Amino acid sequence: MTAALSDMSFDIQPGEVHAIVGENGAGKSTLIKIMTGVHQPDSGEVVVQGQTVTISSTEEAQRHGIAAIYQEPMVFPDLDVAENIYISHKGLGALMNWRKLYADAAGQIAKLGVTLDVRRAASGLTLAEQQTVEIARALSLNVRVLIMDEPTASLSAHEVDKLMAVVAALKAQGVGIIYISHRLEEIFRVADRVTVMRDGKHISTRPIAEVTQGKMVADMVGRAIDKFAMKTAANDHGGEILSVSGLARDGVFRNVNFNLHKGEVLCFAGLIGSRRTDVGLALFGVEPATAGEIKIDGAPRRIHTPQQAMEQGIAYVSEDRRKLGLAMTMPIFANASLPSLRKFLKAFGLIDGDAERRMAEGYRDQLSIKSPDVLIDVGKLSGGNQQKVMLAKWLETRPRILVFDEPTRGIDVGAKTEVHNIIRKLAADGVAVIVISSDLPEVLALADRVLVMREGQQMGIFDIAQASQEKIMALATGQTEAAS
Amino acid sequence: MSITRITAFLKTWEGLLAVILAVILALNVALAPEFLSVQNQINLFQLSIEKIIVALVMTFIIISAEIDLSVASVMGLSACLFGVLATGGMPGALAILLCLLMGAAAGAFNAFWIAYLRIPSLVVTLAMLIMFRGLARVLLEDRGLSNFPEWFNALGRDAVIGPLPLALVVFLIMLVILWIVLHRTGFGRQVFVIGNNAEVARYSGVRVARIRTALFIMSGVVAAMAGLFYAARLASVRGDAATGFELDIITMVLLGGVSVFGGRGSMLGVLLSILIVLNLRNGMSLLNITGHIQTGIIGLLLIGSVLVPNLLQDFQARSAKQARKA
Repeated sequence: MTAALSDMSFDIQPGEVHAIVGENGAGKSTLIKIMTGVHQPDSGEVVVQGQTVTISSTEEAQRHGIAAIYQEPMVFPDLDVAENIYISHKGLGALMNWRKLYADAAGQIAKLGVTLDVRRAASGLTLAEQQTVEIARALSLNVRVLIMDEPTASLSAHEVDKLMAVVAALKAQGVGIIYISHRLEEIFRVADRVTVMRDGKHISTRPIAEVTQGKMVADMVGRAIDKFAMKTAANDHGGEILSVSGLARDGVFRNVNFNLHKGEVLCFAGLIGSRRTDVGLALFGVEPATAGEIKIDGAPRRIHTPQQAMEQGIAYVSEDRRKLGLAMTMPIFANASLPSLRKFLKAFGLIDGDAERRMAEGYRDQLSIKSPDVLIDVGKLSGGNQQKVMLAKWLETRPRILVFDEPTRGIDVGAKTEVHNIIRKLAADGVAVIVISSDLPEVLALADRVLVMREGQQMGIFDIAQASQEKIMALATGQTEAAS
Repeated sequence: MSITRITAFLKTWEGLLAVILAVILALNVALAPEFLSVQNQINLFQLSIEKIIVALVMTFIIISAEIDLSVASVMGLSACLFGVLATGGMPGALAILLCLLMGAAAGAFNAFWIAYLRIPSLVVTLAMLIMFRGLARVLLEDRGLSNFPEWFNALGRDAVIGPLPLALVVFLIMLVILWIVLHRTGFGRQVFVIGNNAEVARYSGVRVARIRTALFIMSGVVAAMAGLFYAARLASVRGDAATGFELDIITMVLLGGVSVFGGRGSMLGVLLSILIVLNLRNGMSLLNITGHIQTGIIGLLLIGSVLVPNLLQDFQARSAKQARKA
């Protein structure tokens, strides 16, 4: 196992905004979880105002003046603003002094320089207003270090401006802010210093004045590119099998255009929240598109249910094994046969158990799934082996188009290489593959072409020969000047 | 069967039920030697025959992670509807057909809310429990009806094959068919997957809503049929017929080791649980234990049935942990 986070050092001063940037999986979340007491560090220490402290719970973190707010605000929808602000206060007494509560809450809100009626129910607030409530809650607990994790990911541009004003107000009150964001332009707006993380390690910390976007991106992706072999010559692909034009789903993604050939691997690159998965779900009919056209073998097809997608030879391997991919308390063979169950039925709908088991054993050997037999519940397998069972279940449908969402998330390096080899072999056999991946080296290792998305928009599509980590990252983070 | 396979079976829930059943049977025989006679066993089944028929279908519903609380009200409504139609002069066969259609409609109505609008089945079928019971009472008000056609009453009473009455024959046929459907067919497999994780099923191309609909319609039809057997056996019907039966039915299914969260269970377990409940009641009656105390004891058994597997799992997890440490 590699460490999620190792040898990470950084500091935060009162009234400072310290930004942390890094790719998905760089270790930012782990760092936050250690500071807020969700995880315990294996080594190293946290020092608050010169004193070494141990933080074993979020409550303890709050006592030391550390609090965090996230992309999705955590508010109680049925309580009003003031109640939400004081929800974590203890010792308010058996009898509430409501008048004082509301007055104090209004005071906290005013300190942030916003106007918000403290008697409104939280359910009616916008996301931005809910965030304000969360920040006010943190302030009421005398927070000295506020961690903001992707606070603007779901906000509109106007709301971002308001949040920036709140950040300025917090700075003025001497609160130190750890600001985590994928949006580099925001970081230049608010940050005083920037720390770049990569692969769980500290790469650089610099005052914002000494940083350029190009430098930051280079630090973020600068890992050894030879970790995976770069794809060299493009394969000779077969004919076009899939063509997508103007595909959109209201409020989720819009105007996605691409085509796909037999034997080709097309990678969807982008950051988490860029809506790549939603495009995959539209192709598979789980969350159908609301506009645009999907053509298969040149003929327009309506895909509104997974059954319709499967009839067209489309398979979708989910990124979420546990929730969407596998029935964890059912055996390997039952998971493997599920989408193609019809093939294993005899008269009266009886399952041909022998054929089913032989099929599962075939995949166990072919994909080297490490399990003594196929009767074991998939929940008992390791992540990598679960991933292979999921692949087996979709390969058995004999797909012509395979959408593979985060094929190697949460599996170890050995299994990762194996999965990559399987994908290459499938393509060599003429399957058209779409890989959705947040792992840039993986994208470069697998793709013939790359489609980059950002916030529901297609930012570009190009041959792998013209791709580089820097170019993809620049498009994914929306800074166009570095893209040339 | 080798020794290791027998010990492995005894460690399962079904194995535990088999042991409990053996103990109860032994005690019953010791108390009353005539207990094991065919006639006594048939009588014992007859007393709860309508419930155990419905329990077979409830097994499917609970394995699919749903519940149908409306079954007893559908039974009651079916019985009352038959009474009104038959005593009103309608040909008996037509009345029976209409009752079964009513059951199918009730099931489809449940399924509409549950499978397509995704309202929890607990809420939907609770509402239907009240509504169908209300309809039954509207039909009969405070009357009781009893002058059914003689052939109908005979159905509930007379043996049709050897010593077996019709309802018991139907139960046995259903047991065999539903056992195979649950454990050997694609439909049964999909029911298990839906109960295990409905989203995984949906993402695998399983037509989840359609299967849920089929289950609730099956539940409605079978409950309506069971209501007819009830009316025939008692040769009379009142608006409160079969009230509260849903709880006995669900108890039998859960005691049989079917997970209340869905995804797990077996027909063998449910059959053993049915036999345990029937024989336990019989034995307690032999001991002159009153009906209310019998119900209490079966309640305790149910609590035990939920607790024991959990405790077992805890214990196994803990010993596995210690084994790892050592």
